[in-house]
Amino acid sequence: MSSINGGRRCAACKYLRRRCSEDCILAPYFHPSNPHRFACVHKIFGASNIARMLQHLPVHKRAQAADAMAWEAYWRVQDPVYGSNAIIAHLQHEISKAQNELQMTRAQIAIIQNFQHQQHNQIQPNQQLQAFWALEDEPFVLPDLPHL
Amino acid sequence: MGGTPPCASCKLLRRRCAKDCIFAPFFPSDEPQKFAIVHKVFGASNVSKMLQDLPFQQRADAVSSLVYEANARIRDPVYGCVGAISQLQNQVKQLQMQLAMAHAEILCFQMQNDSSSLVNPQLGVDDDSDDNKSFLLNNNMIMASIPQSMNFSSSSSVFPESLKRESLWI
Repeated sequence: MSSINGGRRCAACKYLRRRCSEDCILAPYFHPSNPHRFACVHKIFGASNIARMLQHLPVHKRAQAADAMAWEAYWRVQDPVYGSNAIIAHLQHEISKAQNELQMTRAQIAIIQNFQHQQHNQIQPNQQLQAFWALEDEPFVLPDLPHL
Repeated sequence: MGGTPPCASCKLLRRRCAKDCIFAPFFPSDEPQKFAIVHKVFGASNVSKMLQDLPFQQRADAVSSLVYEANARIRDPVYGCVGAISQLQNQVKQLQMQLAMAHAEILCFQMQNDSSSLVNPQLGVDDDSDDNKSFLLNNNMIMASIPQSMNFSSSSSVFPESLKRESLWI
């Protein structure tokens, strides 16, 4: 049986029990050591759909596309109702939570900064007081009274 | 004659639309594009099997999510909705970083306040010390009120190791 990689069929051809030709379009992306990956993809998309979608892509994009389809298929197998939508909803919820927390934390920073500013303003009158008492060392000189 | 029109799937597949057609409740004849997209990406027989495996009340949601995924794949034939997931993950990471920086800023304020209360003993005058204590108290209350919800670790593990390709491509 013609095969790749030293006599082994790819996971797709092994699953489909067919000959794995040298130019098998699925072989580069579904290694025989990971049969579960192709099983998921085949269950959700179907081997012919996957092959067709990969064929329509430039060769350098096929690996990423195969990976993305494998993940989508995996999530759909795990959650047959919502699939990857559940992941998206979860992430959107996390983002909303993080945004709220960030807003709250920034408000807290503003409170602290305001408090510090108020404290700084309270210190300044003391400095003025210190400057005033420093004048105690200077001789007190009466101003010239106007000559009446 | 004059019965209900065939559903969008049977119309596209050019077959008789039976009374118990599994697609009919979810792919009405006036929305042909909906089924066309799903059929193009998943295939009618796969969709049929998926729906058959689900209880009836969950099928509408399943169809909606399949339509969403199919649309995403049509828009982006390489990444599909994984592209959207990747973007959302990046957003989560950025927000995590901003949150960490904001928390660090609060800690800096606390440390500054602690060090200034040691360096400036004149702040130990009664009125000022009360203010100082109240600031620390307020700050501690603020710190305590920050929810410990920095647990976004689950979002970084949505991509399972078992689905990654082998080292063939390294």
